[in-house]
Amino acid sequence: MSEDIDVELEQEVAEFYQSLGINQGPGDIQYRLILKVLEKNDPDITKFSDIRKYTDQFADRGSIGSKMKTVFQLEGLVKKVKRGGYVITDKGLMAAGFLRTTTTFYKKTKRMGEIIERMP
Amino acid sequence: MITGLLLNIIICFAITISSLTFAFVLACNGGEHSEKSKPALWALVAFWTLVGATYLPTTIRMIAAYMGKPTIDTIMYNISAIPFAFISVPLVFFIMYVMIGNKNISKYVSFIFTIFGAAYLSLFYSSGAIGPQVTELSSIFIVNSDIAIQIYLMGLFVFPTAMILGLLLLMFITRSMTISIHRTVLPLVAISFVFDFILTDFITAVDVIQITSRVFVLVGTVQAFLAYFPQTVFNDRFSAKNNVETCETDENDKTEYEDNIDG
Repeated sequence: MSEDIDVELEQEVAEFYQSLGINQGPGDIQYRLILKVLEKNDPDITKFSDIRKYTDQFADRGSIGSKMKTVFQLEGLVKKVKRGGYVITDKGLMAAGFLRTTTTFYKKTKRMGEIIERMP
Repeated sequence: MITGLLLNIIICFAITISSLTFAFVLACNGGEHSEKSKPALWALVAFWTLVGATYLPTTIRMIAAYMGKPTIDTIMYNISAIPFAFISVPLVFFIMYVMIGNKNISKYVSFIFTIFGAAYLSLFYSSGAIGPQVTELSSIFIVNSDIAIQIYLMGLFVFPTAMILGLLLLMFITRSMTISIHRTVLPLVAISFVFDFILTDFITAVDVIQITSRVFVLVGTVQAFLAYFPQTVFNDRFSAKNNVETCETDENDKTEYEDNIDG
């Protein structure tokens, strides 16, 4: 996966899910961005600095580190291969696939909303 | 006295009055709509005005047939062909604008349909029509050109109908609680109804089919009116607000388990 990460879109999608009461997973911008970066770098190693390039505007270093440990490593979505270096696992790729479907759902819902808005 | 023709006159007059009134009321309520929906609203106003403009000469035509004046009948048939040829133009604009939201693209596509309409008219006037053949129920003309009927079917009707069905399908696929059924789906069904039965009305050579088509055009017009200005019964039954309200639990609907906890 080498496609660019659209941070603004990811934020929009996360806000949409938050508005539905889903604050974790698809509704968490940090989770979304970390997973996107890991998926983008697959099968290479993702450095902590690669993730922070995208997440710095939303979260401090500590909270990203904590999320990596308490969510991604704990649930087996990534494997720590060296200090500050991670590789996404099959389970992580599954989660990334799910994240893509949440983006598709958001786009579909938004498009439908716009169509309804244009109906007199 | 031919009662069938009288009935036909009344139906045509009812379609004319109801569609023109609907267009007028829609135009008067333009201020209530958002800026985004205004282009689609004006397209709808144009569409219903053209429906009225098609059936006004048709009403006079039927009166002429009733009174045994074939010349006026023929003149009115030729006049009614003009609004009829361009009826798909505002409809295409409406569908394109609602679906993609781009005014310029919608204008270009509807311009193509204007060309189709003009091509149909030129073929229609150059080939002429065979008739009138006055029966107990109606006065029938047959377009004396197969190519004109092909343009009719393919250009003016098949594509716009497919667009409406596509839009309806899209709405059913992405179902949402926020969609008020009567306000979104009903107008599209009504337009589709009116549009397709106008086509049947104009190409049929059978009087029973023609009068039946006109009844359905009238039904479609009333349906569209109810979609935009719904009666209380419709509001209560189909509005999204009602759907949400019915999901709320009532104090009396407590389960036995909840009663035990409160108990």
